Amino acid sequence: MMRKILLLLLALLPAVTFAQGFQVNVAGQKQIGMGHTGTGLVQDGASIFFNPGAVVLLPDNSVQAGVSPLVFKSAFNPSGSNDVYDSKSKVATPFSGYAVFGPKASWWKVGLGVYIPYGGLVNWGNNWAGKYALESLNLKAIYFQPTVSVRLNKNFSIGGGFVYNRGSVDLTRAIPLANSSGADGQAELKGSGNGYGWNAGLFIKTDVGLSIGLDYRSKVNTTINNGDALFQVPASVQANFPQPNTFKAGLPLPSTTTLGLGYTYKQWLFAVDVNFVKWDVYKALAFDYTSNTVALQDTYSPRNYKNAFSYRVGAQYSLPTNWAFRAGGGYIMKAAQDGYVTPEVPDADRYYLTGGLGYKATKNFDIDLSFEYERLMSRTQTNIESQLSGTYKTNVYIPGISLTYHW
Amino acid sequence: MNNFKNIFILTAGVLCFAACKPEFKKPTATSGTADFSRYIAVGNSLTAGYADNGLYLEGQQNSYPSIIAKQMQQVGGGTFTQPLFTQAQANGSGYVKLTGFNAAGSPVLAPVTDQLAIRGVVPIPGFGNVTTYTKYSGDNNNYGIPGMKLLHITLTAYGNLNGYYERLLPGNAGTNSTAYLDYVTAKPFTFFSNWMGNNDALLYAVSGGAGDVLTDKTTFTQLYTLLLSRLTAAGQKGICATIPDVTAIPYFNTVTPALILASVQKANPTVQAIFINAKSSADVTSTTYAARPATAADMITLTFPTSKIGTPVATPAGNLPYGLTPYTPIENQYVLDANEVALAKDYINSYNTTIKAVAASKGIAVADMYSFLNDIKAHGLVVDGLTLTSNYITGGIFSLDGVHLTPRGYAIVANQFIKTINAQYNSNIPLTGVANYRGVKFP
Repeated sequence: MMRKILLLLLALLPAVTFAQGFQVNVAGQKQIGMGHTGTGLVQDGASIFFNPGAVVLLPDNSVQAGVSPLVFKSAFNPSGSNDVYDSKSKVATPFSGYAVFGPKASWWKVGLGVYIPYGGLVNWGNNWAGKYALESLNLKAIYFQPTVSVRLNKNFSIGGGFVYNRGSVDLTRAIPLANSSGADGQAELKGSGNGYGWNAGLFIKTDVGLSIGLDYRSKVNTTINNGDALFQVPASVQANFPQPNTFKAGLPLPSTTTLGLGYTYKQWLFAVDVNFVKWDVYKALAFDYTSNTVALQDTYSPRNYKNAFSYRVGAQYSLPTNWAFRAGGGYIMKAAQDGYVTPEVPDADRYYLTGGLGYKATKNFDIDLSFEYERLMSRTQTNIESQLSGTYKTNVYIPGISLTYHW
Repeated sequence: MNNFKNIFILTAGVLCFAACKPEFKKPTATSGTADFSRYIAVGNSLTAGYADNGLYLEGQQNSYPSIIAKQMQQVGGGTFTQPLFTQAQANGSGYVKLTGFNAAGSPVLAPVTDQLAIRGVVPIPGFGNVTTYTKYSGDNNNYGIPGMKLLHITLTAYGNLNGYYERLLPGNAGTNSTAYLDYVTAKPFTFFSNWMGNNDALLYAVSGGAGDVLTDKTTFTQLYTLLLSRLTAAGQKGICATIPDVTAIPYFNTVTPALILASVQKANPTVQAIFINAKSSADVTSTTYAARPATAADMITLTFPTSKIGTPVATPAGNLPYGLTPYTPIENQYVLDANEVALAKDYINSYNTTIKAVAASKGIAVADMYSFLNDIKAHGLVVDGLTLTSNYITGGIFSLDGVHLTPRGYAIVANQFIKTINAQYNSNIPLTGVANYRGVKFP
């Protein structure tokens, strides 16, 4: 009776975070080829994402679909150790689809876009140094955006759309409670929720080949209610982790502001985008469990992210035949500050290079290929909360293909 | 259609990039000014990998010397062989395991009694019964002997008195005459770790100051100097470790006087104090004990059967409840009272001063486990997403006996040794991953 053990098993609970790494820059294959620029261009239906103000200037009605199988290769070298842990090979498949319709050369067009601006898929396995911080994470925010675009005059057009987000998260983490064979317990948090926002853009077309675009995509507060909180622990301590249990968590997806320039010269097309993500919406992240115990408390983890810019450039050269060649690149600044980097996405400053190929197969049918290579700067970090200490290196490889039918 | 073919070739080309992993440049391995080609470990139960009140195969396999040796092998260390129990006798001496929690939330422990390596029990005249274990005769780098004190290193008869030592010697109990000091130095070695001396104070403490005595300070210094002279006789480098504070272990911090009193008061709110049989002075030679109310400065052993509290005890004044009156105090062997705590602390401080001074005089590194474990007691330790504390069972570091460590506890100790070795000898032995080792097993 007196050797009473209070199972104060704190710091067991997962927290979901986003970082710059969770911004998925694969909204359209033509744009990826050009360094993911497009806010100041009129390329195709992906303008629904990049700048709804440009949609009305599209010459055709179109339907397009693209996918960018994303291979995220991260590795971790614990401080003072020669061990290297590689994340498991998982292929995320962020997709996008756009439809644009309106009378030819009219003053209006409508469209619908489906795209994934935020997401993450990483699996470190259950046997690595940071398993008590994270084993795996699968996070997706799918935006649906009906859009209206209107030409105001020869030079100015605007557009806007309502955004509905379907967000989902599935996170696993080891719990340091060994069973009789020495294996860890595991927590899994799984749920989905909805959020709402909007996307608006202004497009200015000058008479000297220069175009200017400005786009603002609002913050989308997504709330996960009744997510499943699954805890696998040894039977003798299961009562501390009531099952079934649910959780509630907010996943605020930050707003982005992008200024883009486009310039056409003969068969060349040049573009520059500057993108600003208001990451500071992540002051902290809180998890609220429906059933609490001494061992299972609600969590509140400070994140303190900082707003971050990314800079993108790209070019396209079109042959008089059916081919277009694209290249680009960019630099993305980190959002997670020192001490707050987690294995969910080992955020760091990064650069990327892209290439692309466009082929007009028929008068109405385009195929676009893209490839993006992203290299995150090596970052040595000790996380304030978990004290997980070591060096992260990450490379991302994103091939992509899209098919467009236009008429 | 040729164009399509080209597109597919290009796609295949970019996909092969996907196989490329980020690479890390490993630092050039160096043993610095030390030579790890034959590392030996000198010490007691902690060195042997003792855990959960027993020595068994899994504990041996996770001993801190074996962890250090494995990491040393990445910078030129040699093979490290331990006197492991066989798979068939994997439970060695037997140990305790957690079988669950009772209704009040207290842990329930049960002994493991199968697959033992017990050979027999030998009565040694003038000493008593010695349990012997299946002999080990192969090569050996881990000389950790459970129960051994520094005081014993020169005793030629010790191979007859300690079954764990007898196990490593060729002769049967009663016939051995090799002193530990001669045994460990018989075969050449290039590097040593020495965590000897804990039991010179610990055995006194865990017996509540009743069943054992503290090793004399001067004797400790003489023997420690002798041990280190022999270990460094051929210019070997090594590492010594200080002795943890007895009050830093859950054995003394789990069942507290306040906890006992609170639970008694639940049943009987009028009870004002629990009584202990306490040493009357802090003088080591004094043998005067008297009953007095327990305070927060008194420590109750983890082994105290709390069910005894309140049970009737026959006294000249009639039957009185155990632990609740000055006539029926909690017995001495369950209590390290304030004076005994002070004594144990004083001796440990003295031993540690000796360890640091002798090691320094030989240019040998010292891992300050006293400070390390006291720091964990005070602040906990957060590492690799784990929050480790000195708490019993939930802390993750201490095994079920409240004195010895879990594999995870041994891993953090091994890392502490490695850091100290690297600092002293400019080597770069890589650290081990604490998350790879388990804490207490729950059913």
